[in-house]
Amino acid sequence: MLKVEKTFETRELNVNMGPQHPATHGVLRLVLDIDGETIVKVTPYVGYLHRGIEKLGESLSYFQALPLTDRMDYVSAMSNNIGYCVAVEKLFGIEAPERAKFIRTIVGEMSRIANHLLWLATHALDIGAMTVFLYCFREREWILDLYEMICGARLTVTYPRIGGVRNDVPQEFLESLWKFTDEFPSRILEYETLIDQNRIWLKRTVGIGVISAEEAVNWGMTGPTLRGSGIPYDIRKHAPYDAYDKVDFDVPIGTEGDTYDRYRCRMLELRQSNRIIRQCIEKLPKGPIMADAPKFTLQPKDAMFPVTHPTKQHAYYIEEKVCKGCGMCLRACPAKAITGEKKKPHKIDQAICLQCANCLAVCKFKGLKIVPGGKGLSEDKLKELAAAPLPEEITKATEHLVEHFTFVKRGPRAPEGELYVATEVPKGELGFYFVSDGSGKPYRMRVRAPSFIHAGCLPRLCVGHLVADVIAAIGTIDIVLGECDR
Amino acid sequence: MTVREIVKRFTFIEIFQGMALTLKRMFSHAVTIQYPKERRHIAPGFRGQHALAKNQAGQAKCVGCGLCATICPSQCIHIARAKGQVDKYEIDILRCIYCGFCVEACPYGAIVLTENYEYSDYKKENIYMKKDKLLSNWDKYMPGKKGEEYFKKFWRPMSDDFGTPPIQAVWRGKKQ
Ligand code: SF4
Ligand code: SF4
Ligand code: SF4
Ligand code: SF4
Repeated sequence: MLKVEKTFETRELNVNMGPQHPATHGVLRLVLDIDGETIVKVTPYVGYLHRGIEKLGESLSYFQALPLTDRMDYVSAMSNNIGYCVAVEKLFGIEAPERAKFIRTIVGEMSRIANHLLWLATHALDIGAMTVFLYCFREREWILDLYEMICGARLTVTYPRIGGVRNDVPQEFLESLWKFTDEFPSRILEYETLIDQNRIWLKRTVGIGVISAEEAVNWGMTGPTLRGSGIPYDIRKHAPYDAYDKVDFDVPIGTEGDTYDRYRCRMLELRQSNRIIRQCIEKLPKGPIMADAPKFTLQPKDAMFPVTHPTKQHAYYIEEKVCKGCGMCLRACPAKAITGEKKKPHKIDQAICLQCANCLAVCKFKGLKIVPGGKGLSEDKLKELAAAPLPEEITKATEHLVEHFTFVKRGPRAPEGELYVATEVPKGELGFYFVSDGSGKPYRMRVRAPSFIHAGCLPRLCVGHLVADVIAAIGTIDIVLGECDR
Repeated sequence: MTVREIVKRFTFIEIFQGMALTLKRMFSHAVTIQYPKERRHIAPGFRGQHALAKNQAGQAKCVGCGLCATICPSQCIHIARAKGQVDKYEIDILRCIYCGFCVEACPYGAIVLTENYEYSDYKKENIYMKKDKLLSNWDKYMPGKKGEEYFKKFWRPMSDDFGTPPIQAVWRGKKQ
């Protein structure tokens, strides 16, 4: 009789899910070890969308680095912008005025709604409910249109600024937004009619990806993903920034810590955001929208008008007697109109000069003079005019101009030190950590991205479930790979 | 299992509720637009392709100070000067991220972002914006008062932003 030495055995199968899988919400690669249909091990691989945003942030000034944050979590770009601005404001030690804070709270909550709508849309689509997707996008479009109304962009908004916001909101915006908040609760009910009690939805979400409160904390979860497990941790409540301490809202929490509870949490958050927006609109105070911190913000444009207005035809002239020959202007002149040797008076070639004021902004010895209305005059005439005292408005405008040029070229100077500031973005806790060496650029900029940490929790949520539940797990932690990989 | 749950389970009530909603929505207005034929309304101050502003005399306002090129986070503005003039002003549109910082940094109010977002082309050269193209954009997209309006609203900050302007949007209560 034939003797069987080895019994027949099945090996675990090793499957790649992603990076181009339609349900992975971006370029996330999961390597699954499966035993039949059951997940034995999950290994997430991230980094396909790495653009070096942290490093880029170190090579740009604090002001310039703002648009980078749009491109981290592009689904809720506004919240990222706010997170960055709040952090940098702390670093600079300035504070945005009240009105700006309220506006930022409004747009931040709008971004939370937009984010949760996209999350619900794709999560439902992944699980198999197509209609919700279409309905969610209907309202999301509305929000994006409102964004366009205030800042001219829909997705990558770059609207908040360090020390305030870019521009004031128009009256129509408030009216339109109020209309939105009037209508939105009924829209939330629509989504819930479609899926809340739907038996397929319940089968796919209840008891899937359960994580206990203690474990969720240990895995570093934040945001609604954590609150689904029953921990009421919300930075808006615990360390309020902007206007969150002036509005009234609840932090919804779940009990079971499964996919369904996290879904319920986010649905309730939609309602809370709606509530916050309404309160903010009602309370929106009058006042400035930019902090009065001349070294940290751009200068008011109209204050520079006496020098920069197109009707003015000024000339720039170096006074021989005052010029120390330091060569600063020579290096700053983009047209190479200045000539001169070190320690000797420099000279501007009026035929080449563009009247751009770069030289004026760098001269520390007051050797450079602006000659009002002196364009096209002869050298002798300029010399004569330059000796005369300047009108007051020009002197004032020049001060602003110098500040403006310095700000743009060097960036706002931060005090030395390091700090970590966290804000509550729709996905969780977004933290910015800066090490500043006192220059216009951060020495080190580190971003604590919630998506990255949540992607790390995937193995914990998936093991023991079926392959199809991996999709539900990816959906429930609400990750965006742009933010995860940075 | 309560009676209620059993009834729910066998009548498929939640499924029918959902389907009733979809059916109802079938007869409401379409929210989509048929793009090339219909176009969406573009809000003023849209951040699209650039234009170089002209002054009253029809000349370019840009003096070539280079602040826009300095602040541009993606370093896509290239300027060259010769003989007291801006010789070359080019924007590598494909690298631009439409942050609008160039507008804010320019002290001379010489650059704007227009509402043009349809500029795809078969040739790279056509997308690379040269000075004359940027100037013609001004005539095309910012005719009349439009340019002025743009500067008033989006060339920020102005002194108003640091103080309290007389007219500001506030909540005026529900319309009765
Ligand atoms: S105004 Fe501009 S171009 Fe003229 S000398 Fe000064 S820096 Fe050079
Ligand atoms: S920066 Fe002023 S002091 Fe220095 S060389 Fe130029 S004009 Fe003279
Ligand atoms: S919009 Fe931004 S990226 Fe584009 S040219 Fe202007 S500064 Fe550069
Ligand atoms: S900042 Fe304005 S004036 Fe200066 S180069 Fe740019 S567009 Fe021209």
